[in-house]
Amino acid sequence: MNGAFTGADLFKDLERLQRQMSSLFGGFPGSLRSTRPGMFPQVNIGSTDDTIEIVAFAPGLDANKLDVSIDKGLLTIAGERTTRDGQLPEGAREYAQERFNGSFRRVIELPQQADPDKVQARYVDGCLLISVGKRETSKPRAITVQ
Amino acid sequence: MSDNTQLTQREQGGVASQESRQERRVTLAPSVDIIEDGHAVTLWADLPGVSKERLEVKVHDGSLTIDAESVVPVPSNLRLAHAEVRAPYFSRTFTVSEDFDTSKIDATLKDGVLKLTLPRREEARPRRIEVAAV
Repeated sequence: MNGAFTGADLFKDLERLQRQMSSLFGGFPGSLRSTRPGMFPQVNIGSTDDTIEIVAFAPGLDANKLDVSIDKGLLTIAGERTTRDGQLPEGAREYAQERFNGSFRRVIELPQQADPDKVQARYVDGCLLISVGKRETSKPRAITVQ
Repeated sequence: MSDNTQLTQREQGGVASQESRQERRVTLAPSVDIIEDGHAVTLWADLPGVSKERLEVKVHDGSLTIDAESVVPVPSNLRLAHAEVRAPYFSRTFTVSEDFDTSKIDATLKDGVLKLTLPRREEARPRRIEVAAV
C-alpha cells in the first residue's frame, strides 16, 4: 500500500464532501440571492463615479442567445452553453470534462442609484461587459431663487 | 480516479521554474475538456477575456503549456466591489507523450475558448492488420 496514493484519495474525498456540503447549505450566509462559488458565469462587479460595471466571464457563447434583462433593480444574465454537439464521436474517449455545459442564470442586485434606462452590454473575447448608468439625482444642484 | 493518459496529468517536474513563476504572479488554472479519438487529442480551454495577442501555447521537452493574460476593457477609475475572478492570468501545463506530433498542433481561439488539436504520429495510430488467408 502506497501512502502517497491513498493520501491523495483522501483529499479528493474531503474536497467532494466539502462541495456537497456547500451545495446543500449554500456556503456562507449572505444575501438571499447569493449563490455558491463555482457558478457559471463568474462575475466581477465594480463601480465608477458615473456607472456600475459588471463583467461576466462567459467564454464560448453565442452573443445573440444571451439574455440580459433588468427588472425591479435585478440584473439577470441567462443563456445556454453547449460545449459539444451531441454525442462523443465513435471510439473517442473523454479524459476531462471541467467546462460548464448547460443552461445558466445569474441574478445580480443592483444598487438603488442604478438607472435601468442607461444600460450598455458588449460581448468581447468571451467576456460579457455590462455598464449600468447611475441616476442624475445624486448630483448636487443649484436652485434659483425667484 | 486514475489518470488515463499522460496528457491529462499536471506536470510534476520543473518545480523550480514553477515556483519562480508563482512568485511573480498568481495564476488560475483554466477549465478544460479533453477528448481523444484514433487520430488526435482535442483540448478545449476556457480563457475568458484573452485575445490572440495575449495567449502563448508552448511545447517544450514533452510538456504543453498554456499561458494567457485576460484583459477586460473597463474604465480606468473602476473600484472593484465583488470579485469571483481574482487574477487575470491563466496558466496550465500538461505532459505530452511521444505519440503525438507536436509540430502539427493546431490552435484556434474564439470567444475566449482555445481549441488545441494534437495529432497522433502516423506510426502511433491504431491500425487493423489484415490477416491474409494462405
